[in-house]
Amino acid sequence: MNIRLDNLTVNFDDRFQLDDINWQLDDSQHWVITGANGSGKSALAAVLASAGEQVSGTIDGVPARVGLVSFEAQAELIERERKKDDADIMDVISEGTPVREILNEDGRNPELVEQLVTMFKLDSLVDRSFRKLSTGESRKVMLIRALASEPELLVLDEPFDGLDAHTLEMLQQYLAGLVETVPMVMVLNRFDEFPDFVTHIAYVDQGRLQLQVDRNDEQAYNELYQLLHLKTTDLEVPAADPENDIPRLDPTQPLVRLNKINITYDGHRIIDSLDWTIEPNQHWQLSGPNGSGKTGLLSLITGDHPQCYVNDIFVFGFQRGNGESIWQIKQFIGYVSTALQWEYKVGTGLRNVIISGFYDSIGLYTKATEKQKQIADEWLKLLGMSDRADTPFNKLSYGDQRLLLIARAMVKHPPLLILDEPCLGLDDMNRQLVLALIEKICAGTETSVLYVNHHPEDQIKGIENYLALEKRTPEA
Amino acid sequence: MSNNYFNTLPLREQLEQLAKCRFMDISEFSDGVEALKGKKMVVIGCGAQGLAQGMNLRDSGCDVSYALREAAIAEKRQSWKSATENGFVVGTYEELIPTADVVLNLTPDKQHTPVVNAVMPLMKEGACLSYSHGFNIVEEGMQIRDDLTVIMVAPKCPGSEVRNEYVRGFGVPTLIAVHEDNDPKGEGLALAKAYAAGTGGHKAGVLMSSFIAEVKSDLMGEQTILCGMLQTGSLLCFDKMIEKGIDAGYASKLIQYGWETITEALKYGGVTNMLDRLSNPAKIKAFDLAEELKDIMRPLYNKHQDDIMNGTFSRVMMEDWANDDKNLLGWRAETAETAFEKTPAGDVEISEQEYFDNGILMVAMVKAGVELAFETMTAAGIIADSAYYESLHETPLIANTIARKKLYEMNATISDTAEYGCYLYNHACLPLLQDFMKGIDTDVIGKGLDLEDNGVDNARLIEVNAALRAHPVEAIGTELRGHMSDMKKIV
Repeated sequence: MNIRLDNLTVNFDDRFQLDDINWQLDDSQHWVITGANGSGKSALAAVLASAGEQVSGTIDGVPARVGLVSFEAQAELIERERKKDDADIMDVISEGTPVREILNEDGRNPELVEQLVTMFKLDSLVDRSFRKLSTGESRKVMLIRALASEPELLVLDEPFDGLDAHTLEMLQQYLAGLVETVPMVMVLNRFDEFPDFVTHIAYVDQGRLQLQVDRNDEQAYNELYQLLHLKTTDLEVPAADPENDIPRLDPTQPLVRLNKINITYDGHRIIDSLDWTIEPNQHWQLSGPNGSGKTGLLSLITGDHPQCYVNDIFVFGFQRGNGESIWQIKQFIGYVSTALQWEYKVGTGLRNVIISGFYDSIGLYTKATEKQKQIADEWLKLLGMSDRADTPFNKLSYGDQRLLLIARAMVKHPPLLILDEPCLGLDDMNRQLVLALIEKICAGTETSVLYVNHHPEDQIKGIENYLALEKRTPEA
Repeated sequence: MSNNYFNTLPLREQLEQLAKCRFMDISEFSDGVEALKGKKMVVIGCGAQGLAQGMNLRDSGCDVSYALREAAIAEKRQSWKSATENGFVVGTYEELIPTADVVLNLTPDKQHTPVVNAVMPLMKEGACLSYSHGFNIVEEGMQIRDDLTVIMVAPKCPGSEVRNEYVRGFGVPTLIAVHEDNDPKGEGLALAKAYAAGTGGHKAGVLMSSFIAEVKSDLMGEQTILCGMLQTGSLLCFDKMIEKGIDAGYASKLIQYGWETITEALKYGGVTNMLDRLSNPAKIKAFDLAEELKDIMRPLYNKHQDDIMNGTFSRVMMEDWANDDKNLLGWRAETAETAFEKTPAGDVEISEQEYFDNGILMVAMVKAGVELAFETMTAAGIIADSAYYESLHETPLIANTIARKKLYEMNATISDTAEYGCYLYNHACLPLLQDFMKGIDTDVIGKGLDLEDNGVDNARLIEVNAALRAHPVEAIGTELRGHMSDMKKIV
């Protein structure tokens, strides 16, 4: 059996849409579909059991007998039984359909049903009305129905939810015994519940199949774990350090005001007489081709560009070139770029890297306070890196380094967060990770974001202002 | 003709000045650059050090501009380009010096006398003249106008590091001093502290020293362990490996990057840690080789220190200045022709540990050089803190320059004064070690020990470990490195 989904778009009662799914499942594979709540992971599983209204694309190779367990299927069965009750217009108390009957519907293998009933310890309940079962008990009934249907494909949406430890272990063992004969697709949210036999993981977000990971790819697997953690955690962005507050800015003044600024290299003008004002609480996207001066422009704001002293620049209450230091400017800015990552080649532990954001330094040269350590640990928790607080930064993967530098930039809750191509050089997975983190930051703080990017697909929600630079041709 | 200032002092004062060195507490810099606020700073010279210090000071909120010679401006030389492209005001001495409250002389030693002679008459009454090296005052005996304050702020790193560390939010260890003969208003220390803070040096540690201690220790360190020993060691180790049939590309790479790798261990944990990176038998071997080297080279270190102290070194070098640098240029050309310099590093993988295992002799040379330089300096009255900075602390910095482009890069980066001293050392040390090198084989340079097992005699190992840890450079090193506990690893 090979199941193929090609450019498949499926509508679910106009409530939800799965978009342009391309997916192939071989019969030797066992998949887990995962994603945040509302991502469409259950919908994708249900598509394999013919759910939804196909809008476009194709789905081929789905076998005739699909065993499906899901909350939706369970709810449907309960609803069906309730309707039977409503249909009884006689004034007698309906006993409802006994469990045994439900289990043996549609010509299921009775011996296998008996065997499973014993294994699930439902013997004492088989004669009881299905409607009187608890949620957990009716879940077990669903599982027995699916397993006893001699399925050619098992689709199990959160099959382990609400099961006691004993049943959970039994079920996992039972499923493990089927791996040679029945391909399985499970929807699971907790990585620690992934059975050992699972070979592939599909990650769904916003109705799209975003990532497919081979379980043997250890790095991708770990990154997916982190991504899911970021997407599903209830953890909030940690607060700023109350003991080291950034000075308050006058809310009536812009954060940044560049007045007819120029940047010149070797007599060639890269930026010519540009005006730009960033007001508090505005989010901006800055775009432009290579060489259009994006990074130069940013470094005028951050104070890293020597020509900031020959331009009319007002930043965070300072008119540049009047005796202020760059550290007075930098305290208002969080900054992330590939160049920073290159510069940040230190063997310092992760906790200290985050704390260095309080001091705008590369490496940490000051003894951190207990409060700062606590805040850094909260960030590590948010990133799913709590167990690596003392790991040297330069031992991290490239993508993890980027995440950590974003946390470093945000740790002090700066009025302005500059993200200079934060996804540059990252693979799909890490791109998703970084965007998930940035979204979390945008949603949970009052920081203005200045986002520099080429890629239209890496949009960040909530950006409403755009500045596009053009590359200037060399003057004659 | 110059008049050696140090030699005019009575012995009592010489010793007092040499012993000046105090590691300052960061709290002494709580005023930041306040003492320089509203003052106009004019930098003379826009080389690596001049540009780096000027940029740091400006980024700390100071008012900085550059005074260049008219020719440099008219011909748009590199110094003019560097200063203007970085958005600084640039002008001639005549235009800028009369407006300056602080003049920063950041030209090479050799130019100090003509520069100071040109600048001094233009300086306004009561202004401050600052040096980054005391050679001109101490060795040439330059007399500065009585109304001027004379200070020194000397970052103990090349200009590129001075700037990079500042941008990282840190700084480089810095030595400051006030020339007591020229502190008419008693503001020298306040200005020097503010200047050090403006370059970021206060974050990495500041030593309060004297012009004399700075010059005498700086000259000694750079000639012997820092540049001289690394140059001599490079040439000897390379030639030995070639003689014994080691692949030339491998030999070249082992040395070019070996110094940097092994002295990185030195930077983190002193001589002890550098030797602890070796296996026990290799450690004992390196220890024994170093002891032998120290015995052979001790008279040479003593001679260098003596010549520095009594002014012979500076006199001879200034004679070469007067002779159009004949010796210096000749030696520089000679170095470029050595087999090590001309053999590019091979395209071979050498792991970090392999640099230690196959470079036992190099480890021994660094140990011998560091300890000898330290011992000789302290025996001559230089305080341990200064001796540590001018020997052990700076060795990794110089080793980095060799990793970049071999001896050429090292000699191009260091001052002419250091380069001159380095060649002097090299020419004396090569023949001195000739017999010693005859007994050397690839087990200590090139291939590593070939042993059945790593067994050693317990008593001997304990003895060696104890001796390593008991050396006085380790005691002061542990203390001073403690001041920079979160020192980062810059790859």
